[in-house]
Formats: sequence, structure tokens, C-alpha cells
Amino acid sequence: MVELRDLHKSFGALEVLKGISFSASEGQVISLIGSSGSGKSTLLRCINMLEVPDSGDVLIDGEAVRLRGSGQARQIADEGQIRRIRSELGMVFQSFNLWAHMTILENVMEAPLVVQKRARPEVEAEARAMLDKVGIGSKADAYPAQLSGGQQQRAAIARALCINPRVMLFDEPTSALDPELEVEVLRVIKILADEGRTMVLVTHDMDFARSVSDRVIFLHQGLVEEDGTPEEVFGATRSPRLKQFLNAASHS
Amino acid sequence: MFDEIAFWFAYLTNGKHLTWYASFQFTIIAALLGGALAVVFGLTGATLKTSRFLPLRLIGTTYSAIVRGVPDVLFFLFFPLAFEQAVEWVVATQVCTVESIAAQSSAWPPCREANWFLGTTEYLLLASVSLGLVYGAFATNVIHGAMRAVPHGQLEAARAYGMSARQVLWRVHIRQMWVYALPGLSNVWMLIIKATSLLSLLQIADIVLWADRLGAPNFLPAVGLVHDDWRWRYYLVLFVFYILVTWLSEKAFEAIMRRAGRGILSEARG
Repeated sequence: MVELRDLHKSFGALEVLKGISFSASEGQVISLIGSSGSGKSTLLRCINMLEVPDSGDVLIDGEAVRLRGSGQARQIADEGQIRRIRSELGMVFQSFNLWAHMTILENVMEAPLVVQKRARPEVEAEARAMLDKVGIGSKADAYPAQLSGGQQQRAAIARALCINPRVMLFDEPTSALDPELEVEVLRVIKILADEGRTMVLVTHDMDFARSVSDRVIFLHQGLVEEDGTPEEVFGATRSPRLKQFLNAASHS
Repeated sequence: MFDEIAFWFAYLTNGKHLTWYASFQFTIIAALLGGALAVVFGLTGATLKTSRFLPLRLIGTTYSAIVRGVPDVLFFLFFPLAFEQAVEWVVATQVCTVESIAAQSSAWPPCREANWFLGTTEYLLLASVSLGLVYGAFATNVIHGAMRAVPHGQLEAARAYGMSARQVLWRVHIRQMWVYALPGLSNVWMLIIKATSLLSLLQIADIVLWADRLGAPNFLPAVGLVHDDWRWRYYLVLFVFYILVTWLSEKAFEAIMRRAGRGILSEARG
């Protein structure tokens, strides 16, 4: 479904990704964990080319994203292709990034209408169903700023769901939330995971990663340090760095 | 008493006064058209300023840097004249023959056929374009700053959902930019309103020119001295007009702000 081959990415002199490969198969829920600066968010953002890797390939459904140039000057070669691919990847951001000038319903309907060019009645029905699903159906006509953080993030998840994504990408979806609001968002993500959706999740919440994932990847300084089922990674930790990280995480 | 009312009614509705009233349209048209053009030039300038291509970026930066510094009166005198003569020069290269150039006694235009006669409409258009160009340079800066104030994450989300660069620009970036640009643009608009009092520089018989004429000591052969120097009275009327326009503009900008800020302003505060 998603395949990453030997991704390298630097920001200026700072090398963030030092050659990362993995693939996510259909229905798999993968959590990317690691300390800040380990490159996990950058890696996620390479999947939909919000960051263009300096080298290496990203394949979605076996189709390689076409890039041109090399190194830090590398850029998207085919705008049409990347727009089509992006329209099937539902991204959820740490800071929600709902469009402030649109109501919640308009936010959810925007991409299906203007990118996927689907018919309005069908999109509206689906959007309302998605909002009900994440538990904020009554907020359809509110603006993002009128909602709590947890409600905004659930709206953002509905926005991602409404494009019927092949893969859902979550970039630290609960990091900007108060603990009591985190729960409601995590509950929604758990439901999606149980539905068998393909998801890649960047998270700092180890308990959640353990309960929701089929597979956990621990990144350390731009490299995959551990990769396995939650039982293997959390239960039978081999890497001393991961032990240290998990120790620190459990004390925070 | 009745005679007095009849006299003032007749006086205020005589031909010159009616022409004066009609000339308010020039001021209003120049302001609205100039304002619209200023926004167009401002959007263009701001887009150029953020362009990926250096030459375009230089054009945008040079425009806002240089035109802002030129006095508007000077630009008003310069631009229409320069434009007119440039057009005449281009036309002259096409239509003038050796004979017609020889037949022309004055230095400009080169021949009689190349002469471009400008009426009030043409001057009004040139005045509006001048206003648009001068104040578009200010609008460029205002809009450029406002574009940068739009939260980056929302643009990124638009890209992440597959919007094209054009869709991101119009559906999110420019749509949200207004909230940050409007306070600055309302300043630019007030400056445009003020600058409309310069229309008489462009041979347009505008409200200021007529106030000047009508206020001057007025003799009628039949009546004798109708009034002596009344200019300040006429200027006072113009003051009231401009204050009224200012008040209306503020109301209009408040309404636009409410519309543009929906979801962004009031809700965030409340």
C-alpha cells in the first residue's frame, strides 16, 4: 500500500532521515515512535510529499511518486500525479489545521467537492455521516474556532475520512490537546483502526501505540532502530536506545 | 419670504449648479474604479513579490518600493500625459506621412492624424488608472503582509488534500488574507478618496473646480452682484461630502470585515 525505499532527507546541514525503508500493507496500523528530532514526523510528511526526500522513493499502491532534481533541490515532477495521490491520503495534523473561514461541514466537504469533484448531495450526506461518526454531528455549522481542541481534531479526522482515503496519516494527533480531550480523539482513532483501515500514526503516546498498532517502528536519529509487533517492541525490547526511550517516556 | 425661497431655489438649480452636482459622479467613479484597480494591482504586486521567479519578484518589489515614494500629484500630472504622448507616438509611426509631418506646424504631435483628443471619459479612465497604480503600490505592501499572516498550517492542509496551487491560493490563502489586509486597505481607500480632489489637475471639471468657480464673486447683468467671494461656503459643502463618504466607507468596511472575518475574528474572541 505504502512503500518507502531508502529515504534520505536533510534540512540544511542537518540530516533528519538517513535511509529509511519500510512498507505498510493494506489494513495495517503502523505507529512511528521515537524521541523528538528522530525524524518521525518528517518521515510521515514524506509519504504525501509535504516534504520531498532528497533521495529514495515513495510508492503508493506500487506507483512511484515522480520527482525530479536531486538532493535538497529535488522537487515534485508531476503536479497532477501528486494531487491525485494526495487526494487519497487523509492527513490529520498535530495542530488540526482546519480552514478557519469555513464551517465544520464545509471543511469536511471541501476536498471531496473541489479536488475529487464529487456531487454535492452525495458529499454532504457522507460528510454529515462522518461528523456523526466522530461524535460532532451537532457542530456541523459551527466554525472551527468555536470548538474545543478535541472537537476540532475529531472534525479534522472526519475531513480525512470523507475523501475515502486509502491510507490515513496521523501526525501526533493528540500532542496539542489537554489530557482529558486526548481520550475522545484516541477513541475515534481506535475505532478506525479496528475497522481495518490502513493507517500510519506518529505518536508520543506509548500506551496508545501499544493498544492500537499492528506494528511499531522506533526511529532513532533518522534510522529505523526497531520494527515489530507491539509485543516484540514493547515486551521484548532489545535495543538499549529503545529501552532508554521507553523508560523516559514512562516517566514523563 | 416666498420670493427669497424662489430665488434660492432658482439659484441652486441653475445650470452651473446642476453641472456641479453632476460632477460628483466623476469623483465617485474615480474613487470606486481607482480603488478596485488598486486592489487588482495590489494583488498582482503581492503575488509577484512572493513569486518563485526572481525577475517577477523584482518587478513586484520595485513597483511597491518606487511608486510608493512618488508624490501622487506628480504621478497624476506625469502618467496621463506620458501615456497620451506614448500612444500618439506609436500612432504617429503608423499613420504619419512625410507630407503630413511637414504640414504640422507645432512640435507635437508629429502630424495632425496622430493627435489623440482626450475627453472627460478618457481622462477619468486615466485618472482611475493613475489612482490604481499609485495606491496599488501601497495595497501591494498591505496584501503582501496579510498573505504572510495567514496560518501556514492551513495552506499545508490544503496542499495535503490535493488542491492545486491555484486552488490553495484562491480558496484558502487569498480568502483568509482579507481579514489581515482590510485595516490597511481601508487606510489606502481613505487616501484614494482624498486624492480624488486632484481630478481637476487632469482637465476634469470636478467638484473642486466647480466649487471654485461657483464660489467666486458672481455678477449677473440683470441682478448685479449676486454674491461676493463665497468660496469657503462651497468648500464647506465639499468638506461635508468627504466626511459623509468617510462615514459611509467606515460602515462599508465594518460590514466587509464582518463577512471576511467570519469564523476567524468574532468567534475566536468569544
